[in-house]
Amino acid sequence: MSVTAINRTLTAVLLAVLVAAPWVLPMFEAEFWLAITAEMLIWGLFAASANLLFGHVGLLSFGQALYFGFGMYGVAIGVDRFGLGFWPALGLGIAAAVAMAAVAGVFAVRLTWHYFAIITVVFSLIFYFLALRLKPLTGGDDGLSFAPPPVARFGDVTLSLGDETVQYLVILAFAVAAFAFQARLYASPLGRAFAAVRESERKAALLGIDVLKVRWIAFVIAGGLAGLAGALFAFYGRYASATYMYYVVSGEAVIWTIVGGTGTLLGPGIGAALLTLVREELSTVWEHYLLVVGAVVILTVVFAPRGIAGAWNAALARLPGVRS
Amino acid sequence: MSTTRRSFLATALAGGAASVMLARDLYAQEGGPIVIGHQVELTGGFASWGYWHDKAAKAAAKLINEGGGIAGRRLDLVTEDTESSPATGARKLRSLIQRNRAAFVTGSVHSGVMLASIPIATELKTVYFSTGEATEATGSRGTRYAFRSGTDTYALAAAGAPWAFNNLGKTWTMIFPDYAWGHSHHQEHKAVIERLGGKVHDPIAVPLDARDLLPYLTRIPQDTEVLFSVFFGAQSVAFYTQAKALGLEKTMRMYSVSGTMEAIAPEDMEGAAEGVVVVENFPRMLRFKDDEFHREHLRIMEVDPVHARETSSRRVYAKSHAWQAWENLFLLKRAIEVSGWRTKRNDPDVIRALEGMEVPNSLAHPQGAKLLRAQDHSGMIDCYISRIESNEYRVKHMVPRAELQAMLPPRVDFTTQAL
Repeated sequence: MSVTAINRTLTAVLLAVLVAAPWVLPMFEAEFWLAITAEMLIWGLFAASANLLFGHVGLLSFGQALYFGFGMYGVAIGVDRFGLGFWPALGLGIAAAVAMAAVAGVFAVRLTWHYFAIITVVFSLIFYFLALRLKPLTGGDDGLSFAPPPVARFGDVTLSLGDETVQYLVILAFAVAAFAFQARLYASPLGRAFAAVRESERKAALLGIDVLKVRWIAFVIAGGLAGLAGALFAFYGRYASATYMYYVVSGEAVIWTIVGGTGTLLGPGIGAALLTLVREELSTVWEHYLLVVGAVVILTVVFAPRGIAGAWNAALARLPGVRS
Repeated sequence: MSTTRRSFLATALAGGAASVMLARDLYAQEGGPIVIGHQVELTGGFASWGYWHDKAAKAAAKLINEGGGIAGRRLDLVTEDTESSPATGARKLRSLIQRNRAAFVTGSVHSGVMLASIPIATELKTVYFSTGEATEATGSRGTRYAFRSGTDTYALAAAGAPWAFNNLGKTWTMIFPDYAWGHSHHQEHKAVIERLGGKVHDPIAVPLDARDLLPYLTRIPQDTEVLFSVFFGAQSVAFYTQAKALGLEKTMRMYSVSGTMEAIAPEDMEGAAEGVVVVENFPRMLRFKDDEFHREHLRIMEVDPVHARETSSRRVYAKSHAWQAWENLFLLKRAIEVSGWRTKRNDPDVIRALEGMEVPNSLAHPQGAKLLRAQDHSGMIDCYISRIESNEYRVKHMVPRAELQAMLPPRVDFTTQAL
């Protein structure tokens, strides 16, 4: 049996568990964890956007929060100011994030390493302060809260995000679709071009790959993923705020990616889920829980530089009878 | 007749004559504890305020339980830290309601957190008291489930601006941090001053991270009579220190709201705050509301009666806001008992009981008598206009709640919303 086959089986089991969660958790009076799982899925998606750039193209971005914020505000402004329904508002959020990434990407992808990281932070800060100033549109530092419109209507039946099961399943559906899309993407010629650029942009150029174009495409797709996460988070929280556009939020995505495993498909999701779990359990008993999160990150970098997913794959490959 | 501490508590809490043993019996007869959540800023930018909100809520819960609990049931106060972040605050609110089964929540003083929380509390059909100043919480973003016992920017402008206009000057300049709290104060005060016939210069919005305020202070027009400032924390200290260095107080009157120097002692600013006029919700000095309830409240909170400094530390009581964390528990206790609430199914009765609730000056309500106005769920309270003299907050004028209410027509009517 191969590592890939084992991981596929485990992914299927995980998916089955996630689908069953809305019906299983209430049996244990643990409905609260449904909301937390939904949040884990959203943050996992957000971490995946940082992973796409860092793990697959070699660009360390501290600016993904900008596109997350555009996704949030697209939804909040769409619903609150324009009276849009669920799907148009979701579309507006994703489109706003993609458009912003397309523009920012033109400038950012010409740079690499620390220069790239710095320009992504600068873009993030510019729009963070702009969002704080534009109170009539964004609600400023108070943010923008709204009542979510129904997801769909079937005759007399209305699917509403107020129903926690509906909300969770909607988020799960988008998360699964987004990760499936990434799996296809990384296996495609474009995904291989990403890897070539990550390994050596000079060699990639010699192979005829338009490095800037590939980076730009990756940047826009990553912006779209972050925008989708932001749009879902706005619906989940019924709120949008400039605080989510701050570069510290981007840093969290990088940390989740590193802990979960850069360059892997599900690693960022695992990192986000694990650290959300740590936060959820520890923050109720110790307000300085971030010290533990910091310790987890340091231990991961030192003892498992490829993250949890990387360490898992390496452990599987060492098992007798398992092909890497 | 002498009043012992025990008899005083019993009288003040109306029903608190029961001893702890009796209270235990009552819990056993009436059912399990009532869980109330406290969503508070224990860490992050608002931690210096949150410390006091936490202390006030815990002290009030202890007092309630010593007096027999709520309708004979023990009050379990569950506290969650928002980290002064809307994202965390919203998550902690869900945790309080869904995980800890809090039936009611007294909430954040952070405007972003409380505005992020109101839609969630509403959706989860849970009564939520916010303690910050964003007008929207009991206005455009409020709901039937959202209450606030203190003042917002609308009320603070109505309380202080007319007096300041008549006593400090007619030509105003407003300087504030470039974010919603500052802009909100600017809009509300500008409206009042212009309505009274005064002149308001273009506002000066200062970036949030600015510590060198000189470029902004030099933009203040020469003919300014009143400089209205709204800053927070370190930027507030920077503002007063640098304004003093420029000698602005010699040519204009300095006017502000309590939030600007909340949890800060004037003496720690080495004279920079001298002469500043501030609108307070709860006078910092005992002698300007000198009654047994205020005195006992300060004793329980372990603060001195002059500077409101904690007796065991250098901390200064965030008095104009944190009293809400104390009083909200007593408002809920009263509403629960009046309405006969037993389970979450009875929440609409608690809401109806809170709407229009009037409470007397008491240990339960040491800030003073107040009305929780039915339409906008806002507290109508006495306000105080104080001037800092010799590092002390000396009250110059009290605005009675009836006067405040008359100047503050409700902008919304939540009672029309279905429950």
